[in-house]
Amino acid sequence: SVHDEDGVTAKKYSRDFLLTFSAQCTNLPERFEITSDLTALMSEDTSASRSDREH
Amino acid sequence: NAGKPRKSIATTHPLENAWTFWFDNPTAKSKQAAWGSSIRPIYTFSTVEEFWSLYNNIRHPSKLGPGADFHCFKNKIEPKWEDPICANGGKWTVTFPRGKSDTSWLYTLLAMIGEQFDHGDEICGAVVNVRARQDKISIWTKNAANESAQLSIGKQWKMFLDYNETIGFIFHDDAKKHDRGAKNRYTC
Repeated sequence: SVHDEDGVTAKKYSRDFLLTFSAQCTNLPERFEITSDLTALMSEDTSASRSDREH
Repeated sequence: NAGKPRKSIATTHPLENAWTFWFDNPTAKSKQAAWGSSIRPIYTFSTVEEFWSLYNNIRHPSKLGPGADFHCFKNKIEPKWEDPICANGGKWTVTFPRGKSDTSWLYTLLAMIGEQFDHGDEICGAVVNVRARQDKISIWTKNAANESAQLSIGKQWKMFLDYNETIGFIFHDDAKKHDRGAKNRYTC
């Protein structure tokens, strides 16, 4: 964390600003591994989108 | 030109804090297992882009099975009472009918990572608990005794979620001693 002594934070982003980035970040992070205990967490089409990306 | 920067780096938006998602998988839970033994960190992010790249590929609370717990805590803070930073803290909780918490969960995450809380430095993280009858979202904070900071967080959170019912703040210490009998120390 880079809070200064007054606790003032520099990087504030509004909800509307953050939402504008949603559509352009659809691929799973490269370094994310879907282990067996995470299958309950991943959305249904994630495995398909990952295999598409490898072609 | 080997030195050519990648576009993804040039357009990255860093967050004030790094955050870690933790998942507690209900299918891995058993009566023999100690509480907390199946919870584990799954991904740490520090940019807006990294957040969305994971969030867009995971199930949202309405699609998780009953018993699932999904956490987003500041990096290096474990979502456990025993964590030294959480130990003297507490939590605000909002409840929703089963399957109705998706938007509020997202808005909670965006308010935290976008540092929209005046007392954001008091926040440890948030958790959504998916249960058979209801979904619960809690924000964990560091210094439960700091009443003004907790009330500020509670009031702002309700505003961000457009949540109109009264919410309660429980000290972790009380929850440890009284389990579900713990009483709200603050309400707003």
